[in-house]
Amino acid sequence: MRAHSARELAGAYVYLLPVLAFVLIFILAPVLGAFRTSLFQDVTFLPRKFIGLDNYLRLAEAPVFWSSLRFTCLFVLVSVPLEMILGLLIALVLDQPLPCRAALRACVLIPWAVPAAVSGRIWELIYDYNLGLANALLGWLHLGQGPVNWLGSNWGAFFSLVLADAWKTTPFVALILLAGLAAVPDELHRQGQVDGASFVQRFFRITLPLLRPILVVALLFRTIDALRVFDLIFVLTGGGPGGATTSLSLYGANQFLAGDFGFGSAVSVVLFLLALGLALVYVRAGRFREGLG
Amino acid sequence: MFRRRLILIALAVLVLLSGCGRSGDKVLSLAVGGAPGEIEVWEAVLANFEAETGIKVSLIRQPTDTAQRRQGLVVPLQAGQADPDVFLMDVAWLAQFAASGWLAPLDEFMAQGGPDRSVFFERVLALADVLQGRLVALPMNLDGGLLYYRADLLERFGLPGPPRTWAELVRQAQLVQEKLRPERPGFCGFVWPGAQYEGLVCVFLEFAASNQAAELIEGGRVRLNTPANLAALALMRDLIGKFKVSPPNTCSAMKEEEVRLQFQRGEALFERNWPYAWGLHQAPDSPVRGRVGLARLPHFQGGQSAATLGGWHLGLSRFSESQPRAWRLIEFLVSAGTQKRFALELGWAPGRRDVYADPEVLGRLPHFRELQDVFENLQPRPIVPYWSQVSTVLQRRLNAALGGGCSPEEALRRAEAEAGAVVERYAGR
Repeated sequence: MRAHSARELAGAYVYLLPVLAFVLIFILAPVLGAFRTSLFQDVTFLPRKFIGLDNYLRLAEAPVFWSSLRFTCLFVLVSVPLEMILGLLIALVLDQPLPCRAALRACVLIPWAVPAAVSGRIWELIYDYNLGLANALLGWLHLGQGPVNWLGSNWGAFFSLVLADAWKTTPFVALILLAGLAAVPDELHRQGQVDGASFVQRFFRITLPLLRPILVVALLFRTIDALRVFDLIFVLTGGGPGGATTSLSLYGANQFLAGDFGFGSAVSVVLFLLALGLALVYVRAGRFREGLG
Repeated sequence: MFRRRLILIALAVLVLLSGCGRSGDKVLSLAVGGAPGEIEVWEAVLANFEAETGIKVSLIRQPTDTAQRRQGLVVPLQAGQADPDVFLMDVAWLAQFAASGWLAPLDEFMAQGGPDRSVFFERVLALADVLQGRLVALPMNLDGGLLYYRADLLERFGLPGPPRTWAELVRQAQLVQEKLRPERPGFCGFVWPGAQYEGLVCVFLEFAASNQAAELIEGGRVRLNTPANLAALALMRDLIGKFKVSPPNTCSAMKEEEVRLQFQRGEALFERNWPYAWGLHQAPDSPVRGRVGLARLPHFQGGQSAATLGGWHLGLSRFSESQPRAWRLIEFLVSAGTQKRFALELGWAPGRRDVYADPEVLGRLPHFRELQDVFENLQPRPIVPYWSQVSTVLQRRLNAALGGGCSPEEALRRAEAEAGAVVERYAGR
């Protein structure tokens, strides 16, 4: 790598300025604003005053905060790996020279193009106790004893949400990984074939290592997205039954709605710090510099 | 290149000017619910208002979901924005909005030739609209929990009439359900909203009040874990699990619309719902048209039937830049003529009492006779600014008890502790 001249660097910074300004105004300022608000008693019907870390202390004492945190983490831990594995499989299939590959690729993307609130409604119909597809399938296959109330139990609601989320976001993972696969040079595979490496060997020795940076990118996007899951839950379960599927962002939004902006901001800040921490871990794990350099 | 730039500049100036224009000619704005049937009536009513007064009003069409409607108001009001000038509030938010200082007091306007206070339900006005001695809102339409029943089925199975106690309801529901299940496997005795949302709390308060339960919040103390409340919650749970007259998805899917649709499909004997369901049950394409009866909700042995006060109230924004004209809009909306129109066209239960005695209204909507009785004696939810925080706690714990996540005892014990913490947090300082 050759050294850049000072003039070149200055030019680069000028071109970066708009992006920097965008990040400052639309990302950093709101984050700092939320942090500031979280240090205040900012309730619509009470006088505003500085209370330091009181909101955070209350958060630590609130059982519902901990149960929402637990639910959110569990949701990330189950849904993200599922989406990554399925997405990788789909990407590998779509990378093969299949007939009407372009049309297939477009089809796979449809669930991703459906807005989350709409897909929530679709899944609500699928899980419906009386008229839903899920119970109709059980009936046709003569499985179980009568209809199941899918969203009525804690685990039922949890896995119903995971399934709906996986349906919607797996195509996104597949798309990103497909782009990564396109960058794996064909010569390496041909060479591997010449050397007598099996498909599985080539996958683990050639494809996977070269795919790693892009895998980490997909993982990063999905993890952060799953961490702040809101729309699907809002539509599908409303956080129920009995609060079992209340995610952190839903918990925070409920606080805003009830007029407690300080407390709601504290929830947002915790969520932000969680996402930031995970992002840092991923960026390190991705070792992007050496991977691309 | 130069011409394109000129066009851009012209556009920018236009945008800026149109921004100025809006505040200049002061069109009033009114935020209402956006259900398809309602919005046309609102438009027609506002056209009347403009013809009568020359005041233009722009309609802000809000979502139909109550929580989203609130969000759509909390954000501009918290920011001190001048519009909407007038808006509709669910009765459950009134205390919060008033305590936040967002509502302009209406006492002076009322004194200067406004409608006489006695045209409204005294209890509703006293409990919901007068806060800290000031009138801050006026009722647009009222809601209260009612029991809808299938009159044709009660007659077919020789039952005397709608049940007066919960035990009677269970007996009738089980009997009819048993007879009808072979031909209609999805038929249920009693449907009511049990999902985790505000409606569940309303229903719980009705069950509890019908068992002579005490006030939920009194003197800064929450009293939830009492024998009366426990019996009420246990009954709600037993309706699903033990008596099996309410469907298993009561706790996960049932809100007022799901409840109404099941009853309207002909798949239920009894239904707990708000007054709006009547008009839809009696619509020309409704399978249960002409077979529905309306009664007060049942009660426990020795108790009295109770209905939770719901409904929508008109508020005038304190940040409105044209309050006197905004008041004229409110006055117009609560006038007997407009209220009658909403009753006739949408089946809304008016906030004014005199409409219930109107011969034309009674001719078209005979059930209003029943409603007036119910409305004279509505049970309010606790009138505190932090109600929604308390309600969130209740929604979660009550719903868990219905779904089998915990026992009614545990649900009430935990809810009392958590709601107590909420009260301490917001009322203590």
